[in-house]
Amino acid sequence: MKELGAILAAFTDATQCAAVVWTQPQGGAPLAAEVGSPSGDAPAILELIPPGGSPVEVHTPNGSMLVALLPGPRRAWLALGPCANRVAPSSGWLKFLLPVVTHYLQASLEVEHAANELAERYEEINLLYTTSEILGRTVSLEEAAKTILHEISDTVGASRASILVHDPSTDTLQVVAARGAGTSAAPAIEVSDDCSVSATVFRSRRSMIAETGEMLCDQEKLYRNGAMLSVPIMWTGPGGSRPLGVVNLSERRSGQPFTAGDQKLVEAIATQIGTAIQNARLVRASIDQQRLVYEMSLAHDLQMKLLPATSVVAPEAEVAARVLPAESVGGDFYHLFRLGGRRTGVMIGDVSSHGYRAALIMALAMSASAIHAQTTIDAAETLSALLASLRDELESTEMFITVFYGVIDPAAGVLRYANTGHPHAFIISADGTVSRLSALDPPLGMTTGRPDGASRPWRRGSDLLLLFTDGVTDARNDAGVRLGEQPVLDIVAKHRHEPTATILEHVFDALRAHIGESARPDDLALVIART
Amino acid sequence: MSFSIKKQGEICVVDVEGQLIVGNRQELKQKVLDELEKGEKKFLIDFSQTGYIDSSGLGVLVSLSKKIREQGGELRLANLNDDLKTLFELTKLDTLFQIADTRERALESF
Repeated sequence: MKELGAILAAFTDATQCAAVVWTQPQGGAPLAAEVGSPSGDAPAILELIPPGGSPVEVHTPNGSMLVALLPGPRRAWLALGPCANRVAPSSGWLKFLLPVVTHYLQASLEVEHAANELAERYEEINLLYTTSEILGRTVSLEEAAKTILHEISDTVGASRASILVHDPSTDTLQVVAARGAGTSAAPAIEVSDDCSVSATVFRSRRSMIAETGEMLCDQEKLYRNGAMLSVPIMWTGPGGSRPLGVVNLSERRSGQPFTAGDQKLVEAIATQIGTAIQNARLVRASIDQQRLVYEMSLAHDLQMKLLPATSVVAPEAEVAARVLPAESVGGDFYHLFRLGGRRTGVMIGDVSSHGYRAALIMALAMSASAIHAQTTIDAAETLSALLASLRDELESTEMFITVFYGVIDPAAGVLRYANTGHPHAFIISADGTVSRLSALDPPLGMTTGRPDGASRPWRRGSDLLLLFTDGVTDARNDAGVRLGEQPVLDIVAKHRHEPTATILEHVFDALRAHIGESARPDDLALVIART
Repeated sequence: MSFSIKKQGEICVVDVEGQLIVGNRQELKQKVLDELEKGEKKFLIDFSQTGYIDSSGLGVLVSLSKKIREQGGELRLANLNDDLKTLFELTKLDTLFQIADTRERALESF
């Protein structure tokens, strides 16, 4: 406007007549001199000049003025006069100046708009940068949501704002951040709620501006006052685009309505928030997964530590034993007891099913049998007491255990045993003869009767007690063929004179050779004892 | 792997095709329990097309046997192949179930 000021000053110098451009920023506001130096206030009559009408001559105490309303969106007038020596300003001068002034005013208006637009873009770019920075340095979704909400509401000039995230388990929108209201006080909103703006936007996946008085909903009153701009938080994954939540803005400080530009900006931010939510969820899932893997390996170590070292029964017995759970933990176990009179107790058990449930029953069985085995040398009595300890647990879980328990008494030359449903228990004699120690009762948990006991001769230094679970015989190769019982018996019989630890390795070598790359289907356990 | 239930007179005959294992045992259990709830009392499970039963499958058979007995009903098993027969013998489960060699004999035994 500097140039227009210079033109009008030159005009005054040449004609000795004042030249002023009056403007009215808002309807009803007092008129202000935008260009030129008036000698007093604007004459009130200016406001009455109709647009497009002829120039009006106005008489003032200082002399007459010629005034015209300038065309264009702004309310602006060009006033010539009063002039020195009370000369009346010429209508020719007005005709000459009017297009010049109109052009300058229009140009200045456009510059002003462009400057405002630029400032807004700067703000938006700044917001986008800020949002990226916040999301880049925070992992906590709640913390990021709070900071982003603050920035976004500042940029849009909203006093109230909220971010709601969808909780799939309850199908509700939960407030994770709110401005102008506490998040804890703001209730969750059901996605099916017809009254709620947030729920409507979430369902339709489309932004909306709810005008003042429109769709008023009690659940949203803490973060809404007047009109509310609501934008869905979208995330585009491999399966397509889906909504994750909603961003709401309300109570604009300027009192101006929300614009399409505001909506576009908030939509851009909402996309970033969507990615951040998804990332935060993935990070959380990954941490949970890592923790689970760690806990499973801890549980595995713990379960392996429950199994006794084979040295606990040395030197009376020379035992080799190994348990391999199908998952981190399993239901197969063995137990060894040093009993009085140089006797040795050897137990193997297989809890039906595998995984955590089986492992818990296994742990229970191990601790209960440790107590009961010390109170008697009668194997059947030990299993009977074990059943009494486990009965409720087995009934409620519909699980059962096959258990073989043998008490080797080398001095008496006898093996006393009880077998509740355990299929693979054998004695391999010095000459290689294999004798099965058949089950005397169904597995523990399938019946409630007292288990029976039996006994047979035991030759010290030559007889081998061989016990294993069906994970060994059921191990399948790539073609789906089971290893079976006979190959295990043949290997043990063949190597019967070797140390038990060596025999065990032979069996596991054969097992590995059979399985190849196949995954092991079940828990497995194997025990070989000699006294 | 599938289970089909047919009525033969007043007996519910269940055919098990494939394996009875941890992955499908609940399906068998639910089908039989549904029939039990409808008032059926006599059940025959035919294993002529079954190659393998794992320990959890055995668990379900025991559980079903108990539940059927509680409702005053009866359960019979039929057509176990040699491996399954050995499994039932080795684990002494043959003492808990009434097992017939053929479907016809099982039907006659009710």
